[in-house]
Amino acid sequence: MTAAPADAGVEPAPERHSCEAIAWLDEVAPEEAVACGGAKMGRLAELLASGVQVPQGFAVTVEAYRRHCRDSGLDGRIDEILSRVGPDPSDAEVEHASAAVRELFASTPISEHLTARLTEAYEELCLRCVDVNVPVAVRSSATGEDAADASFAGIFDTYLGVSGIERVLDSVRRCWGSLFTARALAYRLRRGISHHDMPIAVGVIELIHARASGVAFSVHPVTGKRDRIVVETSWGWGEAIVQGLVDPDHVEIGKADGRVLRYDVAHKKVVSAFDFAVGAVTEIEMPAKLADRRVLDDEQVGAIAAAVTAIEEHYGHPVDVEWVIGRHRRAGDPVCIVQTRPVTTAEPEPAVSAASPPGGPAYDPVALAQKYLFSGRPIPGR
Amino acid sequence: MANVVPVDAYSTGEWYPGYKPEFFDMPWIVDPAGPFRPGDENQFWFLDFHWSRGLTPLGSTLWSGDGYCWGTQHAAETLPLPPGRGVTARFAGTHLYGSALPETDPREIEARAGRIATNLPHFLTNYRSIWESGRDELENTWSYFRGIDFTKVRGDELPNLLAQGRRYHKRAMEIHFGVMYPMLANFLGFYGACADMGINPNEIGKFLQGEDTKIMETDRKLYELALKARAAGLEGVFQAHDGGQLRDALARHGGAASLWLTEFDDFLQIYGWRAEATCDVGVPSWIEDNTIPLDLVKTFLQRRDPHDFEAAASNAWAERQEAIENARAGLTREEQAVFDAGLASNQEANFPWWQDDHNYYIDLKVMLPLRWGCQELANRVKADRQDDMLYLFWPELRDVASGDRPYDAGLRGLVDARRQYFDHWHTRRSEMPKVLGTIPEAVEDPILIEIFGLNPQSIKAVQNPEAAEQTTISGVAAAKGVARGVARVLQSSDELHRLEPGSVLVCESTSPNWTPAFGKIAGAVCDGGGMLSHAAIVGREYGVPTVTATGVATLSIADGDEVEVDGSNGVVTILTRAADVASAVRSPEVPA
Repeated sequence: MTAAPADAGVEPAPERHSCEAIAWLDEVAPEEAVACGGAKMGRLAELLASGVQVPQGFAVTVEAYRRHCRDSGLDGRIDEILSRVGPDPSDAEVEHASAAVRELFASTPISEHLTARLTEAYEELCLRCVDVNVPVAVRSSATGEDAADASFAGIFDTYLGVSGIERVLDSVRRCWGSLFTARALAYRLRRGISHHDMPIAVGVIELIHARASGVAFSVHPVTGKRDRIVVETSWGWGEAIVQGLVDPDHVEIGKADGRVLRYDVAHKKVVSAFDFAVGAVTEIEMPAKLADRRVLDDEQVGAIAAAVTAIEEHYGHPVDVEWVIGRHRRAGDPVCIVQTRPVTTAEPEPAVSAASPPGGPAYDPVALAQKYLFSGRPIPGR
Repeated sequence: MANVVPVDAYSTGEWYPGYKPEFFDMPWIVDPAGPFRPGDENQFWFLDFHWSRGLTPLGSTLWSGDGYCWGTQHAAETLPLPPGRGVTARFAGTHLYGSALPETDPREIEARAGRIATNLPHFLTNYRSIWESGRDELENTWSYFRGIDFTKVRGDELPNLLAQGRRYHKRAMEIHFGVMYPMLANFLGFYGACADMGINPNEIGKFLQGEDTKIMETDRKLYELALKARAAGLEGVFQAHDGGQLRDALARHGGAASLWLTEFDDFLQIYGWRAEATCDVGVPSWIEDNTIPLDLVKTFLQRRDPHDFEAAASNAWAERQEAIENARAGLTREEQAVFDAGLASNQEANFPWWQDDHNYYIDLKVMLPLRWGCQELANRVKADRQDDMLYLFWPELRDVASGDRPYDAGLRGLVDARRQYFDHWHTRRSEMPKVLGTIPEAVEDPILIEIFGLNPQSIKAVQNPEAAEQTTISGVAAAKGVARGVARVLQSSDELHRLEPGSVLVCESTSPNWTPAFGKIAGAVCDGGGMLSHAAIVGREYGVPTVTATGVATLSIADGDEVEVDGSNGVVTILTRAADVASAVRSPEVPA
């Protein structure tokens, strides 16, 4: 699926094949979700439609971004800045252009029309969450084939704990601007990709008050073994884990029977916590009493594994997910999934069973001797 | 850049007095044995711990020729090992160095891989009948020799009897390595799979421990004899005499002692046909020389707290069950299927068990018939000493036996000179380089890694010029626990009587004839030996903290040093140098 061409006339009339400015996760058609809400929000909508628990929220669509760039004159000003950058620019040139474009996004107001639509949607979200100025996560949700690629992981902005419409509008503009971070810009310039070919959507979703969060893989991210689920977790929000700021607890679960194979409790020095004074999730020192405590009990591990297994089955390929266990979750409730991607890091290799021919005996001494003894490599563990 | 230790000093062409290259004329498969030759520095050679005394002319040629260069190379071709062609041997003086023979032709390796794909499963399916029929064949041959009164053999039959003795040893080595290679391949494939599935490698050895062997059975029976000696009030006799005088002293003592000696002789008739060395015609059996078993009884008696064989065995078994359960718990269902089937295969063809048990049937007795023949011949030719014939090479021995050559002054002089040569090199053992030739950073041959303990760390350790000064030594954590004691650095099992209860054994490596020592020592440290080495296996069975593959323990530790052996972490610490123990007060044993 690709976004609709943006060559329609000046009239803001509804267009066929395109979305409105706002797309609610629970209203958008799953088959159109990625095209109009970007990869991150689109997959959340797909998950919701398939029965997975996800937070409430809406996407500020690709179309809204396009219109903003077009109607405010940003397109022309961006093109002018980028036209001064050659095909093989220096780091400094890229940095300079990136800063200039992002400044444009920060200083260009959102149109009245879109502001009204966003305000309306945010108020609706507050109503749904039964909260005033409900804190939300504002997440960039890029499009295009490359957006799903691991090379773009974490490249665009995310703001956690944004409260009040003014801050939401501000965060949306920053997310738009993050399409032009130096890394993203350099990547596109190197590959000759136009930013028009990968417009960005922004997700505004309810901030789940996290007791614990983490990531989970439906395949071992390093060895590629597909017979297990790997979970990494810490207290609070998942930012410290995703950014590699904390050494998380490591859990492995057998996919066939859901047994916990190992649970390594880590010394967790940093926690992503909500700072009410700042109005955002920030990284602080982990309280001493929590640092060495095991984060997940077996029931929670089981709920995470169940969600990951369901998502892998839904997509038919290995996935990684970001999940949150909210403060009010009770045993038996599903965990909340805030993001999922196809796994791109590991060569899928069903490790040991590869040593025996399909349908053959589980233990093949000849294959194992070849693999570990006669391969010219040191025997593992020696 | 690989380090090269030159072999020039040993490849001079000089060897035992009167040596001629044709003395090594015997069938071999890939590479023949011999003294070091120029050009040998291109290969990697390791000092073989099995023969720490050095080898006599007859012992050196027959073991290296019929053992390594026939037995291992034959087995490596028969299975075959895809990238390996067995082991070859060289001599530096009387000391044997081994080297693995690699197969380097990729097309050959592939063809060999195709053959092992048929042969290994066939072996594993039929393991029990293959091993037991081989063992029974050897036991039948053994019975044949036991049925012969060597003193009554006609002179013209003696050459043939000697040839039969040699052939028995050679056939034993075909069976030995023919079983050992496929068992080791199966074990190490399983080992690799376990390690790859995330199982702690230190746990893998435990899955197969706790099964009784003939060697352990021998130790138990000897220990029972010690308890009977105590019950009969014979402790005083044992304390007052050394092994060499004990038999006479007990006989003189009469009464209970005579009864005890009768029981002792009954024991020897079953368990005493074992030499104090692996496949060395130069070393007597317990029956020929009672010193070692009597000394062992004596040291068992010195131990106040009795060794509980039953408790050690049931601990080993419980530890095995626990290790298996823990390992399984961390595996996925798919992995459990591999693990369970692999474990079943390895418990059926149990390599660590075989590695101990087979010594009773093969290594410790297959050279005895040849030794008896040599002794009988020595009597008949009125040799100056009963072991003179061991200083002849095979062609010389055959000619003397057939009468083609008289055992005259010329040969007697040669034997004397060779005896001096042997003694000279015997005293030089501790100076022998642990490795020679082109030293790699790591070796790939599984036998070198697992049996000889040649891992990257020990290979590095033996190249450290300051090894003698270091006070911390690391190695393989072979048997868990921590113990302190006075170090006893032994060159060979001839010195086992020097081990007091609670002392720490330090040696190049142990063989099954060292096993009884584990009933009384506090800890063990070896230069060589991996997780599957004798010391590692017996250390685990007996619950004796053991560190192997240190490379240099016999260099770094001096006799009398007070040391701590941390068998859980593979570290040995020299606490007090013997020279500094001014008061010479023996340190009390610290329980593990």
